[in-house]
Amino acid sequence: MRRLAAVAHNTFRESVRERVLYNLLFFAVIMTVSGLLLGELSIRQDAKIIKDLGLAAMDLFGTLIALFVGVGLVSKEIERRSLHPLLAKPVSRDEFLVGKFAGLGFTLLVNVGLMTAGLYATLLALRRGADPALLKAVFAIYLALLVTVALALLLSIVTSTAVASVSTLCLVIAGRYSDVILNLGDVVPGMPAWALRAVMILIPNFRNFDLKDRVVYGDPVSFGDLGWITAYAAAYTGTVITLAVIAFRRRELT
Amino acid sequence: MRALVLLAMLLAAAVPWTQARIDARLGRHRAQEEVLYLWSGEQVRRLVPGFEDLLADVYWLRTVQYFGGQRVYAANKRFDLLLPLVDITVTLDPRLQIAYRYGATYLAETYPIGAGQPQAAVELLARGVRNLPHDWRLRQDLGLFHYYFLDDPQRASQILLEAAGMPGSPPFLATLAAQVLMKGGDRATSRQVWRRIYEQDEGPMKNNAAIHLAQLDALDALDAVNGAILAHERGTGVRPASLDDLRAAGYRGPLVDPVGVPFAYDRSEGRATLAPSSSLWRPNLK
Repeated sequence: MRRLAAVAHNTFRESVRERVLYNLLFFAVIMTVSGLLLGELSIRQDAKIIKDLGLAAMDLFGTLIALFVGVGLVSKEIERRSLHPLLAKPVSRDEFLVGKFAGLGFTLLVNVGLMTAGLYATLLALRRGADPALLKAVFAIYLALLVTVALALLLSIVTSTAVASVSTLCLVIAGRYSDVILNLGDVVPGMPAWALRAVMILIPNFRNFDLKDRVVYGDPVSFGDLGWITAYAAAYTGTVITLAVIAFRRRELT
Repeated sequence: MRALVLLAMLLAAAVPWTQARIDARLGRHRAQEEVLYLWSGEQVRRLVPGFEDLLADVYWLRTVQYFGGQRVYAANKRFDLLLPLVDITVTLDPRLQIAYRYGATYLAETYPIGAGQPQAAVELLARGVRNLPHDWRLRQDLGLFHYYFLDDPQRASQILLEAAGMPGSPPFLATLAAQVLMKGGDRATSRQVWRRIYEQDEGPMKNNAAIHLAQLDALDALDAVNGAILAHERGTGVRPASLDDLRAAGYRGPLVDPVGVPFAYDRSEGRATLAPSSSLWRPNLK
């Protein structure tokens, strides 16, 4: 466990060194500018738009980091051959992989946490009240980011970096169109139901993690709902990480 | 190194200059025409899964910027873009109440304030009522628009009564429903309708209600002026040559509209009207 934590800690430090958290600067600019301008431009909709903007920025920036940093987590170490001396130490491949996942997960947690603080600070500065329900949408976004990291990690182990980037991006996009996939049977009448079901299970349903509209409009999101969303994320991420561990064990390092 | 810095500064300075040239050639607001390529809100919604609300906000801000604020009197506004812009906005975010209300206001108003499409405005509000069935304000607007823009006091009164029965609605709605039904198109009822909108709203919709209230005041003032013209003609046997003659004859009421533009006077008709140069003037003002 200590070795896993050490890998995770190093991954976080590396992300900071690689200026991954610089996106926070963009976020701060977006929040400040929207805070200053939207009241005039939007006819009383500034609080709603700032919430939409803040949550969408977390989702977008987080997804981009999860995808592009996630793809490079292990593949970069292999390409740079920095993995060999690491694995010569008493760190197993499994610990290395899960540690990498946990490290980027922590980086994203810090990232999302700071963006959430920025969002609340903007709302408070405009005297619009700090709605605690926003945290439910933030939590769901974070779960989606963990799923994305897991996918990027798996695909980067079984394919090349470029293919992994493109295929993870495709899966993320396809997962956001899960409602279209669900209705595919209407468009392609000949498609067997089991095939449709298989596609639905294989592709992560990112719609599950989209609570932005609900919390912004004050719709109730129960802890039961969050529990099921968390369970789905845990099951999906767990499966993908396990597959990644298997693939990584089998991977020949030259 | 110094040469490179100089080059970068020169090129940076060229950016706003070239932009100004492009704006001068192609027009500043040409970007609005993008909606011509994306007429359907459903198309746009499909393009941005997970970011529908954010894009709705973007379309909403564009709508307000283009049709509201300082550009209210712009003569070259493309009102044919208003309905697709609002349609895209409310398709992306069907709960954005303000978009229905604002869109309906500018669809219903006559040119140059609005698109002059009251039927489309009422349909937009009806769509809002379907999407937000517990919102008394949208239902109230639907009733008021039926009354004011479609001349249908019966339907208006029925909808206002529905709104009056909804939780959170103000008590005056039931009274207003009865007045609309009893008095039909009288000016006092219209004044009450616009006063309610003026008191509840802010921004462009409040300004629009203020214009309507000023128009109603102008119509009252014109009634008094035209009554005085008639009385002058009856008393002296001749029509006044100008409104100044009416003043000289002792008329004490206002001869300018609430925005300070003198009333127009047609001696052959013997009637004073709002001057076409006034911002309150509209064709077929009632």
